[in-house]
Amino acid sequence: MSRVKTAVLVVLGLIWLAPVYLLVVNASKPIDSYDAKTVWKPAGFSLFTNFGDAWSKASLGDTLVATTMYSVIAPVLAVLIGAAAGYAIVVLRLKRGFLWFVFIFGGTIFPLQMILMPLFSGYANSGLYDTRAGMIIVYTAISVPFSAFVMRNFFTGIARSVFEAAVVDGGGLFRIFRSIYLPMAGAALAAIFILQATFVWNDLLLGLTLSQSDSVRPIMPALTGLQSTYGGAALPTVLAGGLLVSLPTVILFLAAQRFFSRGLALGQF
Amino acid sequence: MTSTIERPPVKVRASSQRPDRTGARMAPLFGLPAAAVVALLLYLPFLWTTYVSFTQYDGLASPAWSGLANYKAMFSDPDLVGALVNTLLWVVGMVTLPVALGLLVAVLTYGHKWGTWLRLPFLLPYAISGVAVGVIWGFVLQPDGALGQALGFFGLPGAHTGWLQAGPGNTLMMIVAVTWQAAGVNALLFVVGLQSIPAEPLEAAKLDGAEGFSLFRHHLWPQLRPITTVVIGLSIVGSLKTFDVVWVMTQGGPGTSSETLALSMYKETFVLNDYGQGAAIALFLSLVTFAASILYLRYQLGESREQG
Repeated sequence: MSRVKTAVLVVLGLIWLAPVYLLVVNASKPIDSYDAKTVWKPAGFSLFTNFGDAWSKASLGDTLVATTMYSVIAPVLAVLIGAAAGYAIVVLRLKRGFLWFVFIFGGTIFPLQMILMPLFSGYANSGLYDTRAGMIIVYTAISVPFSAFVMRNFFTGIARSVFEAAVVDGGGLFRIFRSIYLPMAGAALAAIFILQATFVWNDLLLGLTLSQSDSVRPIMPALTGLQSTYGGAALPTVLAGGLLVSLPTVILFLAAQRFFSRGLALGQF
Repeated sequence: MTSTIERPPVKVRASSQRPDRTGARMAPLFGLPAAAVVALLLYLPFLWTTYVSFTQYDGLASPAWSGLANYKAMFSDPDLVGALVNTLLWVVGMVTLPVALGLLVAVLTYGHKWGTWLRLPFLLPYAISGVAVGVIWGFVLQPDGALGQALGFFGLPGAHTGWLQAGPGNTLMMIVAVTWQAAGVNALLFVVGLQSIPAEPLEAAKLDGAEGFSLFRHHLWPQLRPITTVVIGLSIVGSLKTFDVVWVMTQGGPGTSSETLALSMYKETFVLNDYGQGAAIALFLSLVTFAASILYLRYQLGESREQG
């Protein structure tokens, strides 16, 4: 029985790895030696040349800087704003706290499609369209509900006496938040950060709608641009681009698998 | 003497109440940023889209009230009906293929000596973005591409099929692509579910001779119901939003043969400038998503309410 199980898993696993194999092998081929009829066979190795081509042709360089900025700054802001909300609701016993919580968390229920058009119009009218600040603001807003959800649950698990002792010691509410509650929540904050950074990095729709210039446009819309412009002629370049933009999230994922499974159970993505 | 005896209790009461009072007074300050950001960037747009969905609006002139016209168009315009059918295909595809495969992988790897490693190939694609999945599978599914060559090599039929060139085949192939991406996540969720099953009754059942499929059917499956609800809820919600992979692989084409509602919404709004129609599609998607979310949110919020 156990042997049958293993055999099924190995065969299925190999099928699952085949597209990854094809991606790596063909992204590594020199453009001249790429032949559409023999995609399964490796031929030469110029992965880094292809990375370089993708980088310059799709202006992936600019866009990579911008996307890295978004995926770091927006989740950090969201984590802090969400933690403050969790602190208010649980620790400071905000009046009608559960209603506040439902209001904030309810922000995640509807699909992005519901907010795209007003955001586009609003951004166009307020000068936020195609600006890095605008992208950071929207990514932060999208990430806040989940962050507040996790932080509320996390703070619920901390003994009340911690807060009472801190107040007796004469700490202000802000200082108690900053120097007692935030440090205690390190693991939860990291989990939210990782999940949201991945979301921002992988976003296509918001980037497509709210930006257009190379220096603002996030990486996923830029990659679709590369695909439609260079699709046929330079497939290894396109595939190298696909591999390049996937590496950060794959590495992050492998390093932090358990955070992901926890986040999944919480309903993100 | 009496004063020193009486003092401590007073002090204790004061210090245990003070934090609550000052806390409650200052609390809105800490809650406000989150509520404001959510109200301004999520709820306000939501309300505007809802209003616009009942109007004719091109983004320039002011919206003109048109009642349910946009909604009627959704069920009569052949392109939009096609998108509706494709979206339905996505929902059905995503609650079957990746869920069944995820369950299979979870059950086979759970308790397996090398379970974590054998699960890895399925998890890897999950970390890849929808766009990259589209790029990879667009490549695999090229006419006479990787899949065609593999079929030819094994002497199987279909080697020269144009996988993405006609509906509904193109939608089905893209569902396969997303299955490749999503099965691992579902497996992970099912493993979490399996871990929460108490070990002793299971051991007892094994001693009684239950094994293989019968063990699964009578002892594991019933206990997996809560997590199955979550997985199916998430799958429905995810499939309704399908955009990235289709946008990259076919842009909804050829023609509109592989368009999903999420894609129609984008095209109607930002390509055809029919904001009202786009908004109606968005609201329709939201309502269905909301209904599906209740499936698993009830379970989640119930859990967190018990904690708080």
